[in-house]
Amino acid sequence: MDSAALLSLIVFLPTIAALGFLAVPRDREGFFRTATLVVTGVVFLLSLGLLSGVRADGGFHASVKLPWIPGLGIDYSLGVDGISLFLVLLTTFLTPLVILASTKSIHERVKEFHILMLVLQTGMLGTFLALDLFLFYIFWEVMLIPMYLLIGVWGGKRRIYAAVKFVLYTIVGSLLMLVAIVCLYFDHHAQTGVFTFDLLQLYGTIIDPSRQLWYFAAFALAFAIKVPLFPLHTWLPDAHVEAPTAGSVILAGVLLKMGTYGFLRLALPLFPEAAHTFQPLLLTLAVIGVLYGALVAMVQTDIKKLVAYSSVSHLAYCMLGLFSFGLPGFSGSLYQMISHGLSTGALFLLVGVVYERRHTREISEYGGLAQTMPWFSFVFIFVTLSSIGLPGLNGFVGEFLVLLGIFEANRLAGVLASFGVVLGAVYMLWLAKRFLFGPVTNEANRRIPDLTRREVAVLAPILVLIVVMGVRPQPFLKMMEPSLQRTLSRVAPSSRPSGELPPGRSAPGRSAPGAPAPGQPAPGSPPSRESGGEGDMGLFEPSSIDSLRGASL
Amino acid sequence: MNTPDLSGDALAPLWPFLLLSVGGLLLVLIDTIAGRKRTLPWTWIAAPIPLLALLAQIARWSSGLGPNVFGPQFVEDSFGAFIGIVVTVATLFSVLLSETYLRKVGRLRGEYYSLLLFSASGMLLFASSTELLTLFLGLELLSIPLYVLSGFLRKDERSLEAGLKYFLLGAFSSAVFLFGGALVYGATGTTDLAAALSLAPSDPLLQVGYVLLLSGFLFKAATVPFHMWAPDVYEGAPTAVTAFMATAVKAAAFGALARVLFLAAPVNALLPAPEFLWWIAVLTMTVGNLAALTQSNVKRMMAYSSIAHAGYMLIGLVAFTASGDREALSAVLYYLLAYTLMNIGAFGVVILWGERGEERLEISDYAGLGWRTPGLALAMSVFMISLAGLPPTAGFLGKYVLFQNAIEHGFVSLVVIAVLNSALSVYYYLRVLVALYMRPAERELVLERSTVVAGVVTVCALGLIWIGSAPDSILPGVPAFMGWVKESLFTLR
Amino acid sequence: MRVEYLWLIPFFPLLGAILNGAMALSRAHRPEGPSRALSAWIACLMPAASFVVAVIGFLALRDLTPEARFLTQELYSWIEVGSLRIPLGFLLDPLSAAMLLFVTGIGFLIHVYSVGYMSHDRGFARYFAYLNLFMFSMITLVLGDNLVLLFVGWEGVGLCSYLLIGFWHEDPAKAAAGMKAFVMNRIGDFGFLLGMFVLYWAFVQQGHGTLIFREMQAQAHLIGPGVATAAALLFFLGATGKSAQIPLYTWLPDAMAGPTPVSALIHAATMVTSGIYLAVRMNWLFALSPDALTVVACVGAATALVAATIGLTQFDIKKVLAYSTVSQLGFMFLGVGVGAPAAGLFHVVTHAFFKALMFLGAGSVIHALSGEQDIRKMGGLAKKIPITTRTFLVGWLAICGIFPFAGFFSKDEILYRTFIAENAAYPWLPKLLWGVAFLAAGLTALYMTRLVALTFFGKSRVDEHAAHHLHESPRSMTTPLILLALGSALIGFIGTPAVMGLGGNRFEAWLAPVLETAGAHGGDAHAVDTHAGDSHAGDSHAGVEHADHAALEWTLMAASLGWSLLAMLLGWNLYLKRPEVPVRVAQSLGGLYRLVRDKYRVDELYDAIAVRPTVAFSRRVLFSVVDVRIVDMLVNAVGMVSKLGSYALRFFQTGYVQAYAFVILLGVAAMVYQLSR
Repeated sequence: MDSAALLSLIVFLPTIAALGFLAVPRDREGFFRTATLVVTGVVFLLSLGLLSGVRADGGFHASVKLPWIPGLGIDYSLGVDGISLFLVLLTTFLTPLVILASTKSIHERVKEFHILMLVLQTGMLGTFLALDLFLFYIFWEVMLIPMYLLIGVWGGKRRIYAAVKFVLYTIVGSLLMLVAIVCLYFDHHAQTGVFTFDLLQLYGTIIDPSRQLWYFAAFALAFAIKVPLFPLHTWLPDAHVEAPTAGSVILAGVLLKMGTYGFLRLALPLFPEAAHTFQPLLLTLAVIGVLYGALVAMVQTDIKKLVAYSSVSHLAYCMLGLFSFGLPGFSGSLYQMISHGLSTGALFLLVGVVYERRHTREISEYGGLAQTMPWFSFVFIFVTLSSIGLPGLNGFVGEFLVLLGIFEANRLAGVLASFGVVLGAVYMLWLAKRFLFGPVTNEANRRIPDLTRREVAVLAPILVLIVVMGVRPQPFLKMMEPSLQRTLSRVAPSSRPSGELPPGRSAPGRSAPGAPAPGQPAPGSPPSRESGGEGDMGLFEPSSIDSLRGASL
Repeated sequence: MNTPDLSGDALAPLWPFLLLSVGGLLLVLIDTIAGRKRTLPWTWIAAPIPLLALLAQIARWSSGLGPNVFGPQFVEDSFGAFIGIVVTVATLFSVLLSETYLRKVGRLRGEYYSLLLFSASGMLLFASSTELLTLFLGLELLSIPLYVLSGFLRKDERSLEAGLKYFLLGAFSSAVFLFGGALVYGATGTTDLAAALSLAPSDPLLQVGYVLLLSGFLFKAATVPFHMWAPDVYEGAPTAVTAFMATAVKAAAFGALARVLFLAAPVNALLPAPEFLWWIAVLTMTVGNLAALTQSNVKRMMAYSSIAHAGYMLIGLVAFTASGDREALSAVLYYLLAYTLMNIGAFGVVILWGERGEERLEISDYAGLGWRTPGLALAMSVFMISLAGLPPTAGFLGKYVLFQNAIEHGFVSLVVIAVLNSALSVYYYLRVLVALYMRPAERELVLERSTVVAGVVTVCALGLIWIGSAPDSILPGVPAFMGWVKESLFTLR
Repeated sequence: MRVEYLWLIPFFPLLGAILNGAMALSRAHRPEGPSRALSAWIACLMPAASFVVAVIGFLALRDLTPEARFLTQELYSWIEVGSLRIPLGFLLDPLSAAMLLFVTGIGFLIHVYSVGYMSHDRGFARYFAYLNLFMFSMITLVLGDNLVLLFVGWEGVGLCSYLLIGFWHEDPAKAAAGMKAFVMNRIGDFGFLLGMFVLYWAFVQQGHGTLIFREMQAQAHLIGPGVATAAALLFFLGATGKSAQIPLYTWLPDAMAGPTPVSALIHAATMVTSGIYLAVRMNWLFALSPDALTVVACVGAATALVAATIGLTQFDIKKVLAYSTVSQLGFMFLGVGVGAPAAGLFHVVTHAFFKALMFLGAGSVIHALSGEQDIRKMGGLAKKIPITTRTFLVGWLAICGIFPFAGFFSKDEILYRTFIAENAAYPWLPKLLWGVAFLAAGLTALYMTRLVALTFFGKSRVDEHAAHHLHESPRSMTTPLILLALGSALIGFIGTPAVMGLGGNRFEAWLAPVLETAGAHGGDAHAVDTHAGDSHAGDSHAGVEHADHAALEWTLMAASLGWSLLAMLLGWNLYLKRPEVPVRVAQSLGGLYRLVRDKYRVDELYDAIAVRPTVAFSRRVLFSVVDVRIVDMLVNAVGMVSKLGSYALRFFQTGYVQAYAFVILLGVAAMVYQLSR
């Protein structure tokens, strides 16, 4: 099957199935469970097909582009490269597991639940694959309502508050982004006479710095909310705590990555100068996020809240990596996105396991589980270790590269962020201690059954990936690198000598997918060093922003 | 003034109008003949009339620019035709919704339908005339039946109150409108707006008159500060009538407003007209959304939401007045269509969820209905999502096009305000979903099936998604619609 | 030279860990657990196999010329991003070979010992899974050919120590101890990571970023003194965590919560010494920064003394040994700090033998007394458990530094090197350090004698219950003791001082190829100098000094030997003949004594200044105030404000037609006014 059809199929198969489900009577729960499992499974297998033929030049190795609303220059345009590839795989990989995990926890409104999960999957995949800004926005918003309902219908006590908060937070950000998108669209037209939302053409637009700042701000707001970046994070704990297990897993595993992905795919390459102007601010927030998230996570009494805040901390690492504007940072960030998806996803699944049995998330309710649930405890410790970045497991690779990268870009940020490693160990191990170790204080935990076959089946694949990605990261990194390198060349000041036009922008509207981006920096020689240099110990000094201004004026 | 020849094809532009008005008379006749004893299948008797009118409209639209036999009295252009289409669609759907509703409230009467049709015919006139007297005629023709309809439920105080309020305030604004017309005439000596407005644009008398005229339109369009009647009337009026008012009237009013603004280009050039509209737009959407935020009654909430939407549409008019760019107007037209579908649909669902004697209009009444009546609830969700302006619905695309045009003409700040507003609006539209799906049902619901209404609702829901996201494939999708909307602006007199 | 078998060395234990782990998990819900015999065999064979391979590698190395003694194997490129390249590669050079031999060797013995020691424990298989996993990590640490891989092992051993300290996790105190160990190690790792970043960044500045040992060593000259100091100190921070030096030493005594063999293997013989290994491995870096070396030396000496004083006041047999370990580690760092890495590492090796021996001995004692650890409840065990006693005595002599036992040579080497070291910045410092170390050596002899005396001699204070089934440990436990005793007695002879003419310091000579670079870039003069002084590679320069050096060395040897004997004699008299004296001394010292007995209350200090404030701050300020009160409030405030606006508007919606009409009028007026302007 040709790549175009494959992409469309991957994205829309779930929704098609969902539409089919509408016709099926509601009482046939078994059917919905199995059918959804099968569909998502098939989607996963199909998505594996995208692994083949990743391009060495970092271009899109599979893409489809059809006119959708020509009058407005809107195309139906999907494409996958080294960046989106793994996020797509993460999504398609987690969804079936989540479905399988929900067979016990979701016992009412089964039909609706599965329909929403399928629609949600379409939304997520579309967001990662869309190459047309308009389309991207559509998917970005489409995935909102299903998540809203998942939290609001199957959630806990304060579910409605959480759900509404989640939606409003996101909407505010994304609508402003929409405005910026339209402005960009007209800027591009003003330059080239072409009306288009085609991302690859828009990359070529040259926007004067002052406008860029506004556009970037709008995009950054939308994405920072999703990430979530301190201080825009307060929707996350509520959403996580109230959401059903499936919701939490998808939320933490995939949705949060849309923020970082948005930065990587849109905000940075579209508005590089602005990105550099904002670098100090975002680095500051990210560093705060790392430490703040960890410290607040440490003092939580609700397991889900704890994990939620840990996500705040982990995603802040991704942000640091991105705003190091260097290859190690970029790779680390992307890698961290994937591993966080796995480890935190697994954590939420595990929390779900005990929640199904005891219907409480209070840490103090537990303790001594290691005696009564050895298998569970093994998995839990395993995932914990992955989440605190134990070398040899997936968490370390991303964390290490990010910290290495950010240290190169900015010493102080590097040092501060590195301390998150210590805090990470503190809150996770403290959790493990209170949760698994010590005597069995609560009688209810004495009779608590260990993992069932199904639960093992859900968790095992994740554990395997955790190990594989830790022991053999190179294949992954290798596929990511060219695309990241390409993005970097659009962001990096080093590739944009002042005076002449920046690369990929010299011929606006003609940088088709796969066209080699000229003037790429020597691999791994991060831009930030251009000005960074020996003595640059200043607090989050942006890298030679002035020369940049010069470049773009 | 030359006497127009009234041979058949010259009458073509008038056909829809004639169909509706004559049809209305016909119904009165049937009603009186049938007498009060037995109730007739009114839907089937009344529905064909707007349907035919619609077809006639479409015919007129597609025939584009015919000979303009009636001059300013009844301008012949595809813009008016398109407005006519929206109006007739709204009328048709309202007719289809009505019977079920009237049965529930026990007021199924023939005159109701004739009044509906008269009002509709008035709208056609209103939207297609640029001659002051005819315009006023249209205004009254569309208003007076509505006053009656609003108070149609004699037993229900709220309905009577609504009727009265609407009448008083309507009369008041008609007066203002008439006064404006007088001033214009006084200043120029002609009742032909096109001529008048271009004759002496700088004449203060004319300008004041013009402004007063505008306020008349803005009243019908229920925009701040001429909006205050809307919530009370919408809430009190029979739901089917509310649906009709919220959609058809808006379409007519915006049509006429756009037309006048178009003709007034020379005056606008001298006046800060865009600034007026800018402020009115901002006020309208903000007030509408803020007030809607805390409404517990669905109809009232929808009333405020319709005010807010009037605000969004004004954005298009702002862009249009400022730039004279017809694209901006096409956005308004598209939005009118989308808006009509989502409102009719929503009210349709509201009607279906109402019970005999007890209308269940509190949002809290809908608790748990998502699981009792999944189909309707799904449709309702579509309407709410569309009203909130979320993809993949026409509500989103319409808003998007409006915003896009505004930005194109440099009204970024206006759009930002609008965007924040629609973010606000999400909250109260989603409250309906919260009730539907997230709150436990409090009481039993005796649902009366009505295939007709259900059909309307389905059509609206599918239509919204279709013209909101469908690509041009076998069937004409979004691009086609966009194209048609633009076409209908090729001729605008 | 490339070889193909290095990967086997770490692989065997890993395999063992997986197998045992699988067995433990699969039978987790059966009270009897998996077959002990099977898991015991797997567990013990794996390190044995590694040992064999290690020996093969060692022999292969020995056949090469000193310059060529680098066997490498690269399995695959682990992480590769841009110019950053981190292979999964192993490096067997004299240094790693030396470490490897005793790690696998002693590791094997302790595995065997554990079979007996843990025989009654429910988590038998789990225990060995952890133990094998530890062997794997430790081997990776030693064998890794780049910093990151070393870090993998570094964290790995930390993890295993965490798991093994908290092995009996039902006891919250033990679980807590495990966590404490891990977290304190993490603080060190924070330094380690930053050290790597600094180095990599510095090398990138110079055009070629790398973290591979030999490449870094090759271009060490590119590193400026400032960077070198920073990096070195950061690595040393890492080392203080892992090797329990001031200020991060307090986890080690708590770590005694783990099973005794674990204490022997991880917290005495191998893991805790990996800090020294790191320092030696990165010797070229330390050599570039005299300041860093000074710090290392001072911290080492200080730790040696402080820990020794605490050791003198403890009553838990394992705690005494723990503090003695801390103290001995201090000696090793002192060696490194005065530019004698070989000496430091030599002490690592000898210490591994006698300290493992003593811990296992202690374990045997505890085993015999069915769990008693308080030396006040022991005494007179010599007759009851002869083998344990005799072997323990060997260890005692070794640690006290009595000729010809192992400790003598290594400790003496360090003291001597300290004495003759030169410090450009603070010329008086080396002598001072020597003084401190000398004192610490004396104290060591004293508290060790105290331990031996109170445990094995005098009249029995054992409570009758324990006395009832007091018994010598099984063969599987005593055999390792005997072997280790032999080692403790003889291993010293691989590093005899040149002046003795017993073949000179073979150990240092063996390490020379790795440490060559130490002096090569003129980092610190005295390192070269002293180096030349003893490496009997027969280098001619500084020949004159040779004579005085010899004389000095003899005197120092005599001095420390005498000093130790004195201390032992004193201890013997105090704790056996006149037990009341120490008590009186303690009383007369009063507060000071209590302070020392309570480990200078460092834990309490940390708790007060670091732990509790952080938690309180996070809970009371960050969470309750910043997160809930401020950030979230602001968010909700937006909602509230709009709601208020809504109500305000509804207030105007009076329902009075007149009012509405009035508003309309206002509107019209406003518009007309607008245009009249």
